Amino acid sequence: MIELLPFLLWPFLGLLCIAGIHVYLGLHVVEREVIFVDLSLAQLAVLGAAVASLWGLDPHDPPTYLAALGFTVVGAVVFSITRSERGRVPQEAIIGIVYAVASAATILILNNAPHGAEHIRDVLVGQLLAVEARDVRRLALLYLVLGALHFWWRKKLLLISRDPDAARAQGVNVKRWDFLFYLTFGLTVTASVEFGGVLVVFSYLIVPSVVAALLAERIGARLAIGWIVATLASVLGMLASVWLSAPPGASVVCVFGALLLLTALARPLVART
Amino acid sequence: MKSNSREWARTAATLLRAVALGIALALGGTVVTSTKQELIRPAQAETRALRVVTTTEDLAAIAREIGGSRVTVESICRGYQDPHFVDAKPSFMVTLKRADLFVEVGRDLEVGWAPGLLNGARNPRILPGAAGFVDASAQVEILEIPASVSRAHGDVHPFGNPHYWLDPVNGAGIARAIRDGLARVAPADAALFRERCADFEKRLAEAVPRLEARAREIGITGARVVTYHRSWSYFARAFGFEVVNFVEPRPGIPPSPNHVADLTTQMKQGRVKLLIMEDFFDPRLPQKIARDTGVPLVILPTSVGAEDGIRSYFDLFDHQLTRIAQALKGAK
Repeated sequence: MIELLPFLLWPFLGLLCIAGIHVYLGLHVVEREVIFVDLSLAQLAVLGAAVASLWGLDPHDPPTYLAALGFTVVGAVVFSITRSERGRVPQEAIIGIVYAVASAATILILNNAPHGAEHIRDVLVGQLLAVEARDVRRLALLYLVLGALHFWWRKKLLLISRDPDAARAQGVNVKRWDFLFYLTFGLTVTASVEFGGVLVVFSYLIVPSVVAALLAERIGARLAIGWIVATLASVLGMLASVWLSAPPGASVVCVFGALLLLTALARPLVART
Repeated sequence: MKSNSREWARTAATLLRAVALGIALALGGTVVTSTKQELIRPAQAETRALRVVTTTEDLAAIAREIGGSRVTVESICRGYQDPHFVDAKPSFMVTLKRADLFVEVGRDLEVGWAPGLLNGARNPRILPGAAGFVDASAQVEILEIPASVSRAHGDVHPFGNPHYWLDPVNGAGIARAIRDGLARVAPADAALFRERCADFEKRLAEAVPRLEARAREIGITGARVVTYHRSWSYFARAFGFEVVNFVEPRPGIPPSPNHVADLTTQMKQGRVKLLIMEDFFDPRLPQKIARDTGVPLVILPTSVGAEDGIRSYFDLFDHQLTRIAQALKGAK
């Protein structure tokens, strides 16, 4: 156990960073009922990286990152526009379509891409055990900046997530704030998916927030519960990975599932007392 | 709201009709063109070059050596792709439909995609058992044929390790299997294929001692090596090094922290000289292990066509040994 610590230290700290910002963003995502928006934006970033590979850029060149970012911005624009057109088409449909088309377009591009594009697919898989100190530092810095922006704008951002009609009535430009939300969200998710993979990031985003929604109403309480759940899942997931000698990413995701199940079973008992 | 939904229904119905018409036209066109080809083929078969389709570019390179100007050769998998996983494209079926000879690595390497393509191509001349089907492994000594097979060990190959082309000695067995296949579908040219195959085997027999000497010179022979997957067994046997562990012991399942820890300890203490991985896997974890242990990582092409300079079967081994030499020299 002790001799494994050096291998698990940085992946674990990275997961805690992810927990920090994703639990908070997950509250927004669940409020907005856009559960799969992270997959959609991450896939757009991959499409951007694939397009960059057509120009002969290496997956790790800075221009590739800019291309990925550019596509994420386009996604942010699309999602902020389509949210207001409510009634006829649910936004979850748009998100699903963007995901499917971006995935398919990536396949088409990689189909004809020059040699080296094989690795672009790896962006969505993540390699928790390969994480090192500098990765965690980069991740923490990015999350701190984005988290500070969200803290600064928290009143407006929470209002437009929970009650866009009320926000509109107050004269808030909902589209502009929606765009800001999706832009910061896209930046976060793109960075974290490369780190932990799609499954892990999705779990950190949604499960803590759902558990919290089962147990509490106020946003502060939900945030606290979410962070506790995410930290617990990180610790137990890593331990399970060591005990069972199993891949860490999959272990963490399954622990999340178990925690949600326990909460759902325990809730009637808690409510009765 | 009501008139709106009726409008929708009408638009949808029109769209459906248009799609159905399009599909009908496309199908009709395919049937007409394919029957036309059937009619032309027998008359041309004697004069035109034989169409050989291989699963990998290594087999294609050897098929060119044997067939010379009597064949045109196409490979389905590119040299930089993982031959275990190939996305089926319609163009592959068209290629296979027209093929006179199909050559596969066999031993279940292509089991995930080749059977589907072969069935879809509906070309009875190249189906398993027909004259135009070649299993290139038939005349090669196969390693690691398991006594019992279980999914618990990950993605193992029940018919033995299929990466046999990575030992240059096995090039001769591959060449003979292709020679026999070509002779079956074009008996008139059998003598030519025999002659070209003998020539290839002779050049191979000359190259092998040269490659072995080079491996000894650069210090890989006798070394202890860690590889990413269990896919370098033949390569290890060819150049006399020992594979002591794997980064991903169960192919396709990410390693556990325990395994990475054990591996790192073993590499630090166990005089491991080199870490080898294929060029189509995610290099992040091997790179980290290499940094942590100080053991040099070398990313090797596994196939002809993986890089611009690798055109022939001989080029492949020259490139691999050069890459290893650079990695070992850089580490000193």
